[in-house]
Amino acid sequence: MQPKKVIQRLSDLPTMPSTIGTMVWNETGDWRYLTPLIRTKLAPCSQACPAGIPIPGYLSALKKGDVQRGLTLLLSHNPLPGLTGRLCYHPCQAKCVRRKMDRAVSVRDIERFLADVGTEAEIEKSETSDKRVVVIGSGPLGLSCAFHLGCRGCQVVVLDPSNQAGGALLEVPSEKVEPQVLANEINRLILLADIRLETGAVIDFEAPGEPLSKADLIILDPTGLPENFAVPAGAAAFNPSEDETVTGDIIFVTLPKSLKPFRAPMIAHYIAVGRLTAEKALDRLVACSEEQGSTQSNPDLPRQAVNAEDIKIERFSASDLSTQPEAKQAGTWDRERASQEAERCLSCGTCNLCLQCVSFCPDASIGLDEQETAVVVDLDHCKGCGICAYECPRGVITMEETIP
Amino acid sequence: MKEVMMGTEAAARAAKLARVQVVSAYPITPQTVIVENLADIIGRGELNANYMPVESEHSALASCIGASMAGARAFTATSSHGLVYMHEMLHYAAGARVPVVMVNCNRALGPPWNLYCDHTDSLSQRDTGWIQYYCADAQDVLDAILIAYGVAEQALLPVMINVDAFYLTHTSEVLDVPDQAKVDTFLPPYQPPSKLDVDDPKTFGNVCGADLFTSIKYKRHCDTLALEKLWDRTAAEFYGHFNRMHPTVETYRTDDADMCIVGIGTGTGAMRLAVDALREEGLKIGCLRLSMIRPFPLERFKRATANAKQVIVIDRDVSFGAEGIVAQEVKAGLFEHHADVTLTGFIAGVGGNDLSVEAIVPLVRQAISGDGNAVEAGATFWTGVLP
Repeated sequence: MQPKKVIQRLSDLPTMPSTIGTMVWNETGDWRYLTPLIRTKLAPCSQACPAGIPIPGYLSALKKGDVQRGLTLLLSHNPLPGLTGRLCYHPCQAKCVRRKMDRAVSVRDIERFLADVGTEAEIEKSETSDKRVVVIGSGPLGLSCAFHLGCRGCQVVVLDPSNQAGGALLEVPSEKVEPQVLANEINRLILLADIRLETGAVIDFEAPGEPLSKADLIILDPTGLPENFAVPAGAAAFNPSEDETVTGDIIFVTLPKSLKPFRAPMIAHYIAVGRLTAEKALDRLVACSEEQGSTQSNPDLPRQAVNAEDIKIERFSASDLSTQPEAKQAGTWDRERASQEAERCLSCGTCNLCLQCVSFCPDASIGLDEQETAVVVDLDHCKGCGICAYECPRGVITMEETIP
Repeated sequence: MKEVMMGTEAAARAAKLARVQVVSAYPITPQTVIVENLADIIGRGELNANYMPVESEHSALASCIGASMAGARAFTATSSHGLVYMHEMLHYAAGARVPVVMVNCNRALGPPWNLYCDHTDSLSQRDTGWIQYYCADAQDVLDAILIAYGVAEQALLPVMINVDAFYLTHTSEVLDVPDQAKVDTFLPPYQPPSKLDVDDPKTFGNVCGADLFTSIKYKRHCDTLALEKLWDRTAAEFYGHFNRMHPTVETYRTDDADMCIVGIGTGTGAMRLAVDALREEGLKIGCLRLSMIRPFPLERFKRATANAKQVIVIDRDVSFGAEGIVAQEVKAGLFEHHADVTLTGFIAGVGGNDLSVEAIVPLVRQAISGDGNAVEAGATFWTGVLP
């Protein structure tokens, strides 16, 4: 670089020692002992959710007015939000950090709003594979399992001997879930995951026709079949919470005692078991074809938890809505009300680009990436002072010892 | 307008009259009244300034440096341990050439703990590059702060106005408080030649190689030396507005004197009375108050001591293992132009011991006769020492 000005005489020197040059050449990053790591972490609400839904993630999308994206994120973990939005006991709300300030974010109502408003949701699907799976029973567990397998590219057929899909959900009183809502939820699920659903199916293991005869794996759903359903002789019991691997070609899923018999408020637990079944089934299916790569359906799922104590609630101000009592209104919220409620989410463990770290960094060593969608640390210059981690109100930045 | 106020109140009033824009300070006895007063003044809306409470003196000066670099007129005040806690930032302020003005209330350094007057705190910061002025009375406090801003902002150097603990900080005097309008004329708003500005980005305090470092320090040295005359010019301008003198060296009956007492701060009041008493006895003695220690006001000092054959320095401070710090300064000043002069240095009035006429006259006698109660230790004589 050519100097812009060459100082040759005493009178050329500025009185205040300053230059028009920068300090970028001085790579102070190797002074660092601790490194700020920016990582999305599991919020207390998500930790409490049986289905592990990344709640701050989809609420962030809603805050930005992107309802479609919010619904997509929600559906990726919970394919039946219209049902959880009406039935679930919402342990997420019990752990909401916002309770320290005023009251919990009403995740239930937002979930219900998203489910009811969004019929054009999209899900990113993996490539189609040649694996064929038949799920027998269309209860919440079976539907969730089928959905996740479908999203991962399997060719999934759900067979239900009953004339109506829904399994145990059909017993939920209609004042809790209107039949049309149930029908809409199932329709969306099968469309999104590209599943074939056959009701009134004849299931004959002795003389199996298609699709049973061609299935690589058959999964029996305890929430979708009557108690007296005749489990075929070759079927292996599989408890997804305890058993590591799926063995055999026919499995019937068994539930822990706490989930028996079916109870509607526990719906998220059944959805979770369905997903776990799908993940472990995929492990087997993929192993059979000796495919490489991770089988975890969401490798980017945040695993590290953020504690309620890590959230600096003193940095947040109460919203106008805080003074209102928790809404107990019937029906589905409108878009405005749901967005206002989403605004109340503190985004625990999730960066929402508040840029406090950028403002406070004394070395201008943290900033937006090129796409302006994330904050990144300039490791060539960051000295590891930790101010960004201290200033982050959401516990996203942590200082960790790193070996270069 | 005449008002009765303490030196600390005078300092706060001066900051208000100077329309400082940022005040950042940490309370410490006996300075606390200054920051409390300023907090009140700003809180009442009488001064449009940003009052920054900070967790330490180091941060107080650091934030004043930042404010000044952003173009604001910044003020802070401290004392004793607070001042020495600022040490790193003192060097930084002078190196960065920020015209911050600070009041330091001269108090003893512990341990042992002592809240009273002593000059070791500021004199031990002598080489940080700050302009050091020592006040004689509360009017001097108020006026010197106003002159200090004028000088600092022309020279781009920080100024420390030193105020004797309790003798000045907590003693009420009748002051002539200048009108705001007249102060505004004397002291227009600060116009920095260069400042932190996102529209004109520069790097301040960048790394500098050996090639330019010497030149930058040399330039600062020259600018600091020139400050003696700059103060004189600015003080003369102040005299034009307010009719009060605040010279870098204040002389008393030195014209025909072959003997001269030298000191700084409020103790020089008693020295003048001692001069009067000793003149009654026929001694040709005078007295000299160094109001400026940095830069050392060599020109005026030379003139004031031109005829002196014997110089007596009374230090309210000590450089352990050497002698009084003012005595060292005076010795260095005399070396320039005097071949035949004797100097006797006394350490007196440290930690709050009064420098009264009764205390000073015996020191002069001891300097003349060699007999007295002050105990010899190296190049110094200490008073008030246990037998």
